[in-house]
Amino acid sequence: MRLTFPRLLLLVALLIVILVELRTVLAFFEIELPFAATIAIGIVGIVALLLWAFLSNDAPSER
Amino acid sequence: MKIHTYEKLWLVAAMVLIVGFIATITYGSVALGITMVGDQEDTIEPGELGEDERFDDPRVEQVGENEYEAYVIAQTFIFQPDPIEVPENSEVTFYVTARDVIHSFSVVGTNTNTMAIPGEISTMTVEFDEPDEYGIVCNEYCGSGHHNMEGELHVLPEDEFDLTELSVEADDEVALEDDDEVTLEIAVENGQLEDLETTIEAEIGDETVTEDVTVEGDSTYETTISVDAADLGEGDHDWSVTVDDYEESGTVTVVDQLEDETEDDGGDDDE
Amino acid sequence: MSNTFVDAFPKQARLIRQAFLTSFVALGVGALFGLIQALHRTDIFRPIESTTYYTVLTGHGVFLVISFTIFFLVGVYQWAVTESLEREPVDMRFTWGWYGLMVLGTLLAAFAILAGFTDAIDVSADVLFTFYAPLQGHPLFYIGLVVFVVGTWLAGADWFRTWWAWKGDNPGKRIPLPTFMVLTTMIMWYISSIGVAVAILAFILPWSIGLVESINPTLTRTLFWYFGHPVVYFWLLPAYLLWYILLPKLSGGRLFSDPLARVVFILFILLSTPVGIHHQYLDPGIAEGFKFIAMTNTMFLLLPSLLTAFTVVASMEHGARQRGGEGYFGWLKSLPWREPAFTGMALAGLVFAFGGFTGIVNAGMNINYLVHNSLWVPGHIHTQVGTAVALTFMAGSYWLVPQLTGNRLVGRSVALFQVLLWFVGIIFMTNSMYRGGLIGMPRRTAEPQYDGFDFEVAAGSVGELNAQLALGGVLLFLSTMLFLALMLLTLFNHDSEPIDERSIPRPLSGPEDSPPVLDNLKLWVAIAAVLVVLAYSIPLASIVSRGGLFGPDVSPFPVFIESIGDARFVLESILAGITR
Ligand code: HEM
Ligand SMILES: [Cu+2]
Ligand SMILES: [Cu+2]
Repeated sequence: MRLTFPRLLLLVALLIVILVELRTVLAFFEIELPFAATIAIGIVGIVALLLWAFLSNDAPSER
Repeated sequence: MKIHTYEKLWLVAAMVLIVGFIATITYGSVALGITMVGDQEDTIEPGELGEDERFDDPRVEQVGENEYEAYVIAQTFIFQPDPIEVPENSEVTFYVTARDVIHSFSVVGTNTNTMAIPGEISTMTVEFDEPDEYGIVCNEYCGSGHHNMEGELHVLPEDEFDLTELSVEADDEVALEDDDEVTLEIAVENGQLEDLETTIEAEIGDETVTEDVTVEGDSTYETTISVDAADLGEGDHDWSVTVDDYEESGTVTVVDQLEDETEDDGGDDDE
Repeated sequence: MSNTFVDAFPKQARLIRQAFLTSFVALGVGALFGLIQALHRTDIFRPIESTTYYTVLTGHGVFLVISFTIFFLVGVYQWAVTESLEREPVDMRFTWGWYGLMVLGTLLAAFAILAGFTDAIDVSADVLFTFYAPLQGHPLFYIGLVVFVVGTWLAGADWFRTWWAWKGDNPGKRIPLPTFMVLTTMIMWYISSIGVAVAILAFILPWSIGLVESINPTLTRTLFWYFGHPVVYFWLLPAYLLWYILLPKLSGGRLFSDPLARVVFILFILLSTPVGIHHQYLDPGIAEGFKFIAMTNTMFLLLPSLLTAFTVVASMEHGARQRGGEGYFGWLKSLPWREPAFTGMALAGLVFAFGGFTGIVNAGMNINYLVHNSLWVPGHIHTQVGTAVALTFMAGSYWLVPQLTGNRLVGRSVALFQVLLWFVGIIFMTNSMYRGGLIGMPRRTAEPQYDGFDFEVAAGSVGELNAQLALGGVLLFLSTMLFLALMLLTLFNHDSEPIDERSIPRPLSGPEDSPPVLDNLKLWVAIAAVLVVLAYSIPLASIVSRGGLFGPDVSPFPVFIESIGDARFVLESILAGITR
């Protein structure tokens, strides 16, 4: 576990939020992410984050 | 007072940002000419809109070559007129007022947007380049039916736009015995400033009468078309009058002699 | 031996608990109403009639931005004054007196609003929290608001009285920062709430009772917004107080600068009132010049918030470095993210900064045409008061309530989840509102689905926007319920030791670094008064001279007898049909 649970939660929340807002920002530049693609990216991102966090033997570094 | 260096930098940056915003808005006002709804118009009694020549008949009026004025009333829960029709390539000044409570007049997806306050008249001048159809909503809560309050704004191609109004007056019943004529009193109003060249086509029964006319700008042309009742014969006869896309129609009954009121069952006369 | 606020000031703690309780009840009801709106507007679930939507919306506005926020404010401010002056009110009966008035006012207004749900009682007030005349609610609604505001005035008087007593015992000392913040906020409140008091007492109430026949809608509206902008700072400043006082401590450090904090609060006294006309950019009957002045003042009002952003971030960074944080951004990792009180406030600040930019769009006079009264505006409302304030209050409660009860917070990780859930929920909901607003969807509308046209969505679809709004609303509702449950559990979590210590560390740069003139409250009141007179006397005079004090014969439009409204609608539609 590379991260403590609270930090993991925080990062997941930030990821979702950034994704939602980024999609809007991109739309202003005429780059339109379809709805399904956004959800797919979100799921992939969260899974990647979880894998990265769990697939490690380091002790969490919470000060 | 001790102020940290970073703090000073931030302060300066903040002031630059603020002045920058003000400059941007000022540029929009001065250079781009985006003016605000203001207090140019005098107040108006909301209960007496019917006595005001602009609002007694909410409408679109031509005032210059490509210039129009639209007088709009917002009231629970409709806009008048609806739809509002203007031509492409025009400059339209909207005069908007409210009859009862505060509403808004907001053309969806554009920045044509104003509050409509009873007693006040909002004015906005808008340019319409292309034919299009817009929705109009009231975006200020005005009571329990607020969500039903909508209207339409149609920007029409030049050749489809006119300010023509056709009205016809005709008798319901004509008697043969008086040697009477069936008459249609036709009025064609041309609200545009240019002359209107058109044809009035009137049909009564099997008879057709046409008349080529030129209606001068901002005026009304009146004419009367009559047909002998005897030519039509006894019975019901449909009539219609068309001018461009406008049509008025009705039915006239030719009778032998006018019936006495008392013998009548009253059904027809009530109309 | 524990050392919490309740140990030192048990009687005070009781009053503050009571204020918080009232506030949280309002939050719970308001959140339920919010959920109903989110599902109704989007046509996902419509358990109520669309005409009832406006009763719900009035409740949502009033309960959340009047009751929830202001009851929490008086609680926090009572805590701040007591803690920083280390003394009780001069007369505790007076203190309970103003609290009682506020409750009474809330109950009266709540009765008038909620009675709108039933036909059995001939009372209702579907006028929304802005109650623009000629819409007319039941007189009890207005009376309730006045009683409530008088309660807050007396609360302020109470805090001033405590401060004067303290000053007598501590001549020549600087006003402690928390008390300074309380007093300056209240000065702003006195100056600004006069507007709504005059609007109600001189015009709307007599008119709703039938003493006067008619009303000048532009005048009452202008008086409302004279109060309506400063009131947003009345919601915000207790959150600022928590950011300045509590957040640095929670980050493990201390406040960066006490003098700058004072300057910020003084700027709010000076600038929050002479800007209200920025809510009336699209009103006829007010000259463009006045709108321009309001726009300029509004932009300068950004300054105190930008300064706050600096101080708050700098204090957090200081705290993080105290905890061993390093690097340009690396210090962020050293912040106590597992603490819901900290994380909630930090995220609230983040959302506030973002919402600030949307506020600049609103403030941008000619840009305002694009967003005025569209769904964009509730988007802005929910990022600012709905999150910067509400989330800070919830996060603050995770620290304050243990102090007020002596009980350890129940479920710290659940609490962390709660604030994160709010964060995600608000982004879903407001992002959809902003986008919906930009394509012209109106706010305050039960059924923004129209027969004659469709909204043209630049990216995505209306269905997707709706789904996103509703999802956000559901998450927010769940988050609120979690919060309330944790509060309730904590209240009964008797046999536990509070973990946090109550002392607030001294700022890095203390009051001695600032000129004493900052504490000269009379001076700031005088300058503020001059600015208000400059900004408002000519516009008000012009509005009165145009429309008259009592208006150009505008008759009332009672929304409290629904049937009349409907009958009138039918009648007028028919008439309109005939005259077409
Ligand atoms: C449970 C979470 C919440 C949900 C689901 C929610 C939902 C909504 C929705 C959908 C609207 C738009 C209604 C419309 O314009 O038709 C609205 C308006 C509003 N909300 Fe919320 N809201 C929530 C929490 C809050 C909070 C915490 C506050 C403030 C402290 C707040 C303050 C407001 C205000 C002031 C309005 C505008 C009312 C008006 O236009 O009269 N809301 N809310
Ligand atoms: Cu409306
Ligand atoms: Cu404002």
